[in-house]
Order: sequence, then structure tokens, then C-alpha cells
Amino acid sequence: MPVSLAWGAPTVSSRTDDAHERAFAMLFEEFSAPIYNYVLRMVADPDRAADITQDTFIKAYRKLDTVTEATSTRSWLYRIATNTAIDDMRRRRNVTTMSDDSPTFANRADHRPGPEAQVMAATLDERVQRALQSLRPNHRQCLLLSDLEDMSAQQIGEIMGLSYGAVRTLLCRARGEMRRALAAEGFAR
Amino acid sequence: MTMDRHEAFEELISASLHGDLSADERRRLDAHLDGCDRCRATLAAFADQRRIMAGLRHYAPPRDLGARVRAGVDYDTAPWWRRPIAIFTGVGGGLAVVTGVLLALVMLNGTDEPQVGANSPSPSVSQAPAASPTPLPTYPQPGELPDPTPTPAPGETPGPVATPPEATPLPASPEPDVYMAMEGPFDDQALSVVEGSTDDVVTEPETPAGPPVAAELSSDGQWLAFVSEEGLSGMNQLHATRVAEGETPEDPEATPPPDSPVAVGESVLLGQTMAGSPFLERLAWSGDGRYLAFTLADIEGGGTDVWIFEPGTEQVWQLTDVGDAYAASWVTVDADEADAFQALWVSTADGEVTSYLVALRDDTGGHPELIDPADGPLAIAEGVFQPLISPNGALAIYWNGRMTRSGDEWLFVEGGAPWLAEHRPDEEGGLGFQKERLLFSDVTIDRDAFTAAAISWGLDGDTYAVWDTAWTGLPQAPEDEYPDRSRVYFGRATDAGGLTRFHALDAGDLPADGIVVDVKVSPTGTHLVITVRYSSGGIGDAPRADLILVRRHTGNVADEVETLRTGGWNGPAAFDAHNEIEAEAP
Repeated sequence: MPVSLAWGAPTVSSRTDDAHERAFAMLFEEFSAPIYNYVLRMVADPDRAADITQDTFIKAYRKLDTVTEATSTRSWLYRIATNTAIDDMRRRRNVTTMSDDSPTFANRADHRPGPEAQVMAATLDERVQRALQSLRPNHRQCLLLSDLEDMSAQQIGEIMGLSYGAVRTLLCRARGEMRRALAAEGFAR
Repeated sequence: MTMDRHEAFEELISASLHGDLSADERRRLDAHLDGCDRCRATLAAFADQRRIMAGLRHYAPPRDLGARVRAGVDYDTAPWWRRPIAIFTGVGGGLAVVTGVLLALVMLNGTDEPQVGANSPSPSVSQAPAASPTPLPTYPQPGELPDPTPTPAPGETPGPVATPPEATPLPASPEPDVYMAMEGPFDDQALSVVEGSTDDVVTEPETPAGPPVAAELSSDGQWLAFVSEEGLSGMNQLHATRVAEGETPEDPEATPPPDSPVAVGESVLLGQTMAGSPFLERLAWSGDGRYLAFTLADIEGGGTDVWIFEPGTEQVWQLTDVGDAYAASWVTVDADEADAFQALWVSTADGEVTSYLVALRDDTGGHPELIDPADGPLAIAEGVFQPLISPNGALAIYWNGRMTRSGDEWLFVEGGAPWLAEHRPDEEGGLGFQKERLLFSDVTIDRDAFTAAAISWGLDGDTYAVWDTAWTGLPQAPEDEYPDRSRVYFGRATDAGGLTRFHALDAGDLPADGIVVDVKVSPTGTHLVITVRYSSGGIGDAPRADLILVRRHTGNVADEVETLRTGGWNGPAAFDAHNEIEAEAP
């Protein structure tokens, strides 16, 4: 269920402001959950993912006026999210916690029904996420955009600032690396 | 590295999964798949992988996400007088401005080979009484835990001994010789090299795909080597730009500076590397300006190796071929002899970290290429990783601990820490690292310690800066995060107390929303030139970084801070060894 922005009507606003607010509310409604999941898979930490998603939409609000007809809103928003996540990772570069105490999205309590199926699903999910986390950040990023977000090489290139050919090469390497990582996690092929 | 025929088809298989093939590519792939079991298996594995990824569960964002975004937007759009009051600490340092007045001009008449742990060789008139000479502590061999030090333990109130002595500024300009700047809209950026004292553009190299994040001038000032980010790809590029002609020495018998077929203003692309820790961003110029050593992390997973650029021939070649080698520092061997030559400390990360001194000449008069540094080096230093030799050659800061491969590079995972040592001939006539001591004297190095940090020497061979400290152990101060990745630590090798948490720049010196990219120590010995980047937004946002000059004070005196340049991307800065300190007689 999408998270509602509960955007209150501005008390004093021009028509332009109203349009801006409505456009932003729609943007948030449509993309908050996908962006959160994309970032979560990038950083594997729900609190950081929430912070990054929050920053992403605040930046998007500021820059919403720059979106033109020709610009793909989705690519634009994912690029902001990617930039923000990379900035966050850069701040924390190479710092890895040795503790298992900090909650990851995979071991955070899930209150949804269906215990056995959910446990199995969580286990599968955890193994895939471990495989993803073992990838280089740029490999993880392009694999998520391609296979989780179902984006084309052209769209991935817009987001990552790479040419079409570079994305194809990067994606192929990422798939090869992910294949080995999944095999290490016990997946058959 | 050559691509076999299957690998060429793997790229087509990968692209076929989301219909990114031309008709011709589709035909070639289908024809190949008909007769290739291996590639059919790859197709099946990639297709499975895509199904697994697409089937990953989706998590609901936190319920308060909308409220948090709204609060952030409301804060941004509210008039400033309605915003909550931000609380700053150390604001005095942020408001102060460097006056440009250099106090107490003192002749530096000490030896240029300072002793580690001894008091400053300069007859400093401003030395704090608390920093009276203390005996050189006996430190263990690298790899062992240190004995308790006299510095305050976590929880203790800092005593006066914790205040490092304040250095007397030397009569040199605190501003950098040059700095890099990138301006313009995000899709039309222009890079320039700017003279620090005048803001005049020295040259405008070809603009790379992303901003420069590390830069070093050659000792003769002819070349600027720099590392630039390559978009958001997680890769970096290395370049060398010729920024000046060599100056002909007045002494006709002196060795002239090396010339190059590369004209002033032209650049050489040195290579592409995965981005990573500060260990990868080391740009080491030889003392004679003939060589640049650097490290590339193979983007195809081959690990790290050392490469050399020789400006005189415009050649770039791979020195090592072992997958775990890093460039460290240069040494001039037989410096007083006619046949003096350059040798490079090359460090390896796998197993016990070790450094090898490798001669940059071989018996045929050529240069060594694709070597194992362990084969016939001039010297071996076990337990020493990436020794950063001070500009006067007397001291070194190196790393010790156990490293492991992390992606394309190597990081410390056990007992990683920087050490300070003297770098001088040993009893057997070789070069050694002696009187070693932990650089940070008030941290306990246990299994969880540093994974990496960035370190830069000042030209005086005494001062140094440490930043980007990646610390995985328990906090080493009772109330603060320490070592703190966001802080810059500024120390002196001749400070007997070592580097402590009290050597951090004031908290308010640098913008809270900035990330320190690069730090250079000015020849004054009291100033730092710091490149601070800001988070970028989305499409349409060009990268931003400020160049900030900090004059360090200790005790209760706030640091002096001046923004040298803002707007666009500014930095890193660079100093060359020709920026000599012209001391005046007292």
C-alpha cells in the first residue's frame, strides 16, 4: 500500500504553487515505495534507506520545476536517489560493522501473516541480498535497475551517466559476478 | 586481458534478456547458441537470475516517510525567521578569517632529519609549557598491542599534556601553488588548473567525466597528476597534465629537469580504476620528477597493481602483475653518486603486508615491467604497507595489520593502523623503518581497528594530516565518535605525545553537510588547504566543492577559517617542492 504524503493544501498559494504541490504529491504517491525498495537493496539497511529516500524526495521537491517534457521523470528521480545513495555510501566508505546486532532489512521483524512461507521467503530473500551485497556498488546498481526496476540500457545509462555500450558491458559483468555470488549462496546454476 | 569468444556472446546474452539486441546481433547470437552448450547454460543462468531478482519481495516504506519529507520541505520553504535555530559548536573558528599576517618569523635552523618522538627541532617561541620533552616511549613491534600511553584514556579528562604544541608559522604562503576548478552547467563542465595566489588560470586540461578528487604536483612543478570520478559508475580515471616548462638550473653542472614530448596544457590519460579507499588514490612522484607511480584496481577483477608514468617518454606501463600491489613512495638510491637512480617502495597486501624497494632500471637499460616485486628487490620491509615517506626522506607513516580483498581492492580487517617511524639506513647499510610507534597514541588497536584512512605529509617533513578515518572498533572517546571519519586530524611527527583526539580540527571549521575529499598541509606548517564536497542532487546539479583554508590553533584559541574559493567545484589543491621556505634571520 503506497504511503500517503497527506499533503495539506497550502494556506496561501498561487495557482503555480498548487500545481507544483499536486505534481509532487503524485510523484511521491507513485514512486516512494519503489525508490525506497531500490535504495534498500542498494544499502541493505532500512534506516539508511528511509533517510536516503527522504532526502531524495526533498531534493526532488526543490528541483521539480526543472523537469521538462523531454525528461523522463522516472529516470530523473532514480538518478537523484542513486546520487543520494552514493553520497551516503561515500560518507561511510569501507566502514563495515562487525556486529550482527544492527538490524538489516532481512532480519527486521516482519508482521505479515503466513509464518512458514514467510520464513522461507525471508531466507531466500536474505540469500539473494547477501549475493547482491557482495557485488561492487556499480554492478549492484545496474543489476537492480535492470532486473528489479526493469529498465532498459538506455534508461540505466541516463541514471548512471554512462553510454549505452558501457551499460551493456557493465550489466554483463554484473550478471557474471551475480551468477558466481548466487552459486556461493547455494542457488543451483 | 583478451576476451574469449564465449565472453563476447555473454554480453549479447545479457542484452537479449531485455530485448536490447539489434536484428543482426539476434541472428549471430541464435546461430551461436545452436551449437554452444556453455552459452546456453549462461543464458539459462542469467534468465534464472533475472527471475529471482524480479521476484524479490517489496518492503513497505516507514509509515512516517511522508511526514518526514513534508517536514523537510516545509523547513526548506519556510522563511528563515520561522526556521528552527540551528546550534553550532566551535562557531568562533568558522567566523574567524585568516589575516595573512605571519607572526614571529623564526629561522628554521634545526636539522632536516627530525627524530621521531623528540621535541621540535625548531626553537619555537610559542611552544606550550605543557609540551615539555618527554622520553621516547618504548613501542612494540608493529602488530602487537601497544603498552598504555600517558595520553588520556577514554573517560579521562584531558590534562594539559594533551594539548599539542602550537607550531610557529614559517614565512611561506599558506595558499596552494595550484588548485583545480570545474565550472559550468552539469552537461558542459570545464576544468582548469588555477594558480593559488592569483586565481589566474594556468591551463585548461581536457575535462573528464567527473570532478577531480585527488591531485599531486611533481616535485619540479611541471606536472599535475590527478584522479577524477567517472560519472556515477564507481570508477575513477587518472590523468597527468603538464602545467609548466621545467626551469633551467643556474648551475651548469646541475641535472636539468626532464623534458617531455607533451606540451604544456596537454594531458595524458593514465588509466581507469575502480574507485575505492585512499590507498588507491596515492599519486607518488619521484623526487627528480621523472616518474609517477600509481595504483589501478582492475575493472575486470584482476586486483590491484602498480603502474608508472614517465613524462620524459610519455610512456605508461604496468610495473607489477601480482593483483595485490600498491604504489607507496620513491627513494633516490646513491643520491650522491653519478649513477644515482630511483627506486619505489611497492607494497603487497595478501598474506602478511610487505613492502619491497624496487629499482626502476634493469640490466638492459630498460625498465622493469609486469614483475613480482618480491623477486630481487633492493630491500624488504615485512609488516609495512604503503609507507608514505616524508618529503625530506627522514620519516615514514606506514600501515600494519591484516588485509583482505574487498571487491577490487584490499582493506585492513584485523589490527589495521598507521604507524610512524624513522626511515633511514639500518646497521647493515640497507633502508629500514625504525623507532616505530602508533601514529594515534590514544587509540587501542585490537582486532577491529582502522580499515583505511587518508594521510598527507607537509613539505616541512614534520606536519601531517589524517582524514577519512574508517574505524570499525569501539569508539575511543567517552562522548564523541573517535576516530571520527568527518574530522581532520593535524599532527606533527616531533610531537612526543603522538596524534590524539585533541588534534582534530575544531568541529565548526568545516561545513556540517560537506565531505572532506582532500587535505594538503601548507608549507607554513600551521595551515591546511581542504577540499570539501557537497551532496549533489539529480539531473541538472553540477558537482560542488569548496576550497577552505584553515589555520590551526590549539588550546582555547579557535582555528581561523577562510573559504578560498566557492561556487562550482574547487579543489584539490597542490603544492610542489619548489615552494621553498625562505626563512629570514631573526
